[in-house]
Amino acid sequence: MRPLDVLWVGLGGGLGSALRCWIGRLVGEAYKGRFPLSTFLINISGSLVIGYLSVLFNVDWHNRYGHGMVVNALVITGVLGGYTTFSSMQLDAARVPAKQHARVAASYLLLSVAAGLLAALAGAALARAQD
Amino acid sequence: MGLRFAVLLVFVGGAVGAIARELLMLLVPTLSRGFPLDILVANVFASLVIGFSTGRHSRKVINDTWHLMVTTGFAGGLSTFSSFAYASTVLMKASITGALVAAAYVLISLMMGYIAVIFGMKIGEQSH
Repeated sequence: MRPLDVLWVGLGGGLGSALRCWIGRLVGEAYKGRFPLSTFLINISGSLVIGYLSVLFNVDWHNRYGHGMVVNALVITGVLGGYTTFSSMQLDAARVPAKQHARVAASYLLLSVAAGLLAALAGAALARAQD
Repeated sequence: MGLRFAVLLVFVGGAVGAIARELLMLLVPTLSRGFPLDILVANVFASLVIGFSTGRHSRKVINDTWHLMVTTGFAGGLSTFSSFAYASTVLMKASITGALVAAAYVLISLMMGYIAVIFGMKIGEQSH
């Protein structure tokens, strides 16, 4: 890893997180329901893009860091890592009212993961279809 | 809090969180069979942090500014859903063993992350 990579990751992570914050506010203003829609949409769209870019740029997934590719540090680890969030999803699940807790929380988490995996697969398939 | 100030706070927290994740990726080895332990550690730790900060905030020990920078910023930048999801699909497609590892990775991540948030909130809500 080069020191420059850390800088790219920091810049990308800051930008991705700021984008998440901004989109979160926009979605929050447009949708007042109980479902944590902003985190859900952010995570699914980020998964689609990571699948697409990883195939497009031939990212060797198991050796994706420390190889000096700016797209890995800036975009994949940085922007997409900062944009999507695992912790907010878990906080949303933990905040389900006690009455309906276990089933609703588990359904939300499993739905998020299923949609995220499908989005990542779809993104990868989309990039392959363009070759 | 104005949108511009909020976005700036989140930018700073997110940058620090993402760098911490990059360092974790370099320090924590991927387990055998491709189990992404590094991302698991980042996600579970970030879940602990977001729970703890939420607990402290509900006790009014930390203000809105810190809370936003730590939760939406730092914990959001440290944790990642995109790498979590994509790594699972790469494992799934590799082999039958890979698919089992992916299933274990997803379930362990969800359970440990959930427990970490609840535990973080509990200790964060304690009065001192």
